[in-house]
Amino acid sequence: MSSGPLTAGRRDRPADQASSGEDGGAVRRGGAITALRGRVLQEALTVVAFMVIFAVYGGWLGGKFFNVKALILDVHNTVPSLLLALAVVVTLIAGQFDLSVTGVATCATFLSVGLTIKQGWPEAAAVVLVLVGGVAAGLLNALLVVGLRVNTFIATLGTNGLFLGISAVYSGGGQVSVPLGGRQLPGWFSTIGAFTGKCWPWLTWTVIAVAVVLGLRGALARRPARLTPPVWAGLCGVAVVAAAAVAELVLRLSEVVDNLSWAVALLLAVACVLWLVVGHTVFGRNLRATGANSTAAWLTGVRTARVTTAAFVIGGAVSAVAGIVLGSALGSATPDAAGSFLLPAFAAAFLSTVLFSSGRFHVWGTVIGGVFLVWVGQGLISGGVNFTWMDVINGLVLISAVAISTTFSRKGRPT
Amino acid sequence: MCMARVDRSVHKRGRATSPQIPPEEHRLAGSAGAPLPEARPIDIVSLHKRFGSVSVLRGIDLQLRAGEVVGLMGPNGAGKSTLLKTLSGLYSPDGGQILLGGEPVRSLGDRPEVAFIHQDLGLIDEMSITDNLRLAQRPSYRVWPLLDHQSEDRLARRALQFVGLALRPSTKVGELSPAEKTLVAIARAFARGASTLFVDEATSTLATSSARRVIEVLRSLARAGAIVVLITHKLSEILEAADRVVVLLDGQIVTDDPAAGLDREALVAKMRSVDSRHAPRDDGAGDGPGAELVRFEQVRSQRCGPVTLTVRAGEAVGLTGTPGSGLHDIGLMAAGLVAPVAGKVHRAPGVRCGLVPPHRETQGGFNDLQVRENMSISALPQWRNRIGLLDGRRESRHVAGIAARLSVTPRSPSAPFWVLSGGNKQKAIFGRLLLQQPDVFVLCEPTRGVDVATRAEIYSLITQLRRDGRGVLVLSSDAEDLLAVCDRIATVGSGPVEEPEPVGALSTGQLEGIL
Repeated sequence: MSSGPLTAGRRDRPADQASSGEDGGAVRRGGAITALRGRVLQEALTVVAFMVIFAVYGGWLGGKFFNVKALILDVHNTVPSLLLALAVVVTLIAGQFDLSVTGVATCATFLSVGLTIKQGWPEAAAVVLVLVGGVAAGLLNALLVVGLRVNTFIATLGTNGLFLGISAVYSGGGQVSVPLGGRQLPGWFSTIGAFTGKCWPWLTWTVIAVAVVLGLRGALARRPARLTPPVWAGLCGVAVVAAAAVAELVLRLSEVVDNLSWAVALLLAVACVLWLVVGHTVFGRNLRATGANSTAAWLTGVRTARVTTAAFVIGGAVSAVAGIVLGSALGSATPDAAGSFLLPAFAAAFLSTVLFSSGRFHVWGTVIGGVFLVWVGQGLISGGVNFTWMDVINGLVLISAVAISTTFSRKGRPT
Repeated sequence: MCMARVDRSVHKRGRATSPQIPPEEHRLAGSAGAPLPEARPIDIVSLHKRFGSVSVLRGIDLQLRAGEVVGLMGPNGAGKSTLLKTLSGLYSPDGGQILLGGEPVRSLGDRPEVAFIHQDLGLIDEMSITDNLRLAQRPSYRVWPLLDHQSEDRLARRALQFVGLALRPSTKVGELSPAEKTLVAIARAFARGASTLFVDEATSTLATSSARRVIEVLRSLARAGAIVVLITHKLSEILEAADRVVVLLDGQIVTDDPAAGLDREALVAKMRSVDSRHAPRDDGAGDGPGAELVRFEQVRSQRCGPVTLTVRAGEAVGLTGTPGSGLHDIGLMAAGLVAPVAGKVHRAPGVRCGLVPPHRETQGGFNDLQVRENMSISALPQWRNRIGLLDGRRESRHVAGIAARLSVTPRSPSAPFWVLSGGNKQKAIFGRLLLQQPDVFVLCEPTRGVDVATRAEIYSLITQLRRDGRGVLVLSSDAEDLLAVCDRIATVGSGPVEEPEPVGALSTGQLEGIL
């Protein structure tokens, strides 16, 4: 399957040619520099391309585009799709395609709204049930793909239809919305999806402060041997101050914090947890190994069946969260609410392979890639282009991201 | 066993179909008299290739003429792969010329008269021999677009006779023995019209007798006017097959001599490497075998058994056999990855097994992951911090230490695994086990496709493990491995495998049988 991590960067450099003796050092330095230059160029290229687009938008639309509140609103409106992108990227890292994420999200939307409105459940119970349902959906996918060895496309395409069908049966084919004078959704639930529901600034600032302290601690421990501790500490301090200045003056950090909605905060929290799980745990490493070469992983003792199952379960659970956010934002559920999110979700996930981290699927890359995608599209819309062009843009970006990463990774690489 | 099956099919086929073969095709039977367009001479003039500031090929001058088998060798990283990739057009040279029949060409890769056969052969197991051969050729049609299967089978049969194979063309390639597969790949190259063949390590995975069969065919093709360039790590193959030996070292040709004047020692000296025969093998050192770690009791796999076998702490036990014998099944069962069909594998409580898998290129590592991640995958839990996150710095430090100890090049542990050469990949996989620190090291084909120097390093590593009180189980189709490092050895064939005998207790006859 072509879903293995796509290695980016120009690779006309078989580093195994390093010879012994004094040549060795030169070889290593030369190779490292070439590699570094290649990677920086490669990764910067995608980011620079986006920056150029945004700069053009800035010149074209001015404040209509460069408006912190509007830009965050765009992100806020895309949170369900970005959450689906995170669900997709976890399974992609394991080497699997999960096409059922939109079906799970649709089903979750119906149940999180409908159980309260139609059946009169407490909303909290509905949310818990939906999350359990997301886990169960992941287990079903895993049962088919891992247990019965059904092709992953067919299995998840089938379960996608299954979940959409269940939603249709549940709603009788129509939509579920709050009836006039009938049962209402509780306020806290509506707050999650509403842009007016802002995350407490003190919470955001605390998280930022903790992140800075942790980052600084890590940086201090990574002191290069040729610098004395005071010099290094000073450098780190200067870097923090510079970063703070850039964040405030260029990125308008305090304005961002003021406008941060609960949905966006939830997205960041989910991304943060997944980033730690995927990038910094034994499970995450096993996940990558399974996706990179499942036979080799199995031979090294990784329990690949279990790892793949966990990937599908995480995907299902995150999809369910996306459905809950969607239900909260809409206050209702429609059969096609999540269907159009599949393409942007995969586009964001594949964009992460060219955004950074040398061609791998990457959690933060997915979030940032997805956000860039939205901004590119919204810029066009605010410039007067019809919103129906969104899918064309998403499709083109998905195809070019994959094409770029495979083109660069094939150079000199044995297949 | 396999041979017997093939022979029967030959008789059947012979009766049924030989009248349909036109007389002129009979002339082609057997490769000795095969009419082959004489290969055009190839001249490589002062070929240079640089990667960044690194010169990998530093002026290669090489003449290849029809009727010759040229053995090309050199240690890992000498530039063999780069030379081949430059010749095949995957890399463009930074200087020098490639002349084909006196005319300069950009590369040899896009010429139908030149074929490159790599270790993985490029055959599709699920398809028949005919279909595999057809992939490379213009299809023959009955009425376009309907294929003419009869004539394609006839062409396939002719191509097979070319390399001395008498097989039904409808046989699935997956059912063939490794040697037959290699021969089918060679047949395919010639069916495409090749008269020059670069054979890159395609014989190094074969057991000695099968490799000999392939080499015979290559030699007779050369006699018939082909150019054959054989790239291999096996000195014995080079000496047996080649008319001329070319040794590459640090991107330059240091030797280009007729094989007749060379022997094993001279070749090794030319490669400035250590002969594997002289690997440190300290009999009697240590306290002798210790506690029993793994015991096979009448264990059967799908393909072999029953096997009776014990691995104790501080000893190296070796098994050899042809690749089809199920030799590696024993390794998978010892590591606990595969359950035996019958019998029981006893593992002492708390004993952990680490495995070097048999097929390095496809199953050994994760090409797209970093060297560091490849090496640390089996040992990750030890680097968890209090809250269960991996401590990347401690991990990197440990991995770098082991990589340096095994002199894995390139040194950078963040390089992707696929940039490593075969020998360095094998070292990295060994490093994975050293990090994991298992009690039993199960080593499948530990020296496959590695150069003499690396081979010696691996041997001394195994000896060291044994001395440290680890149990080692070596499963290798190369009997040389067993004689170099193992205390007790046995052969896996079609019958039962008895407890391996100490090397010293074997008679000369038994030893020759194993070799």
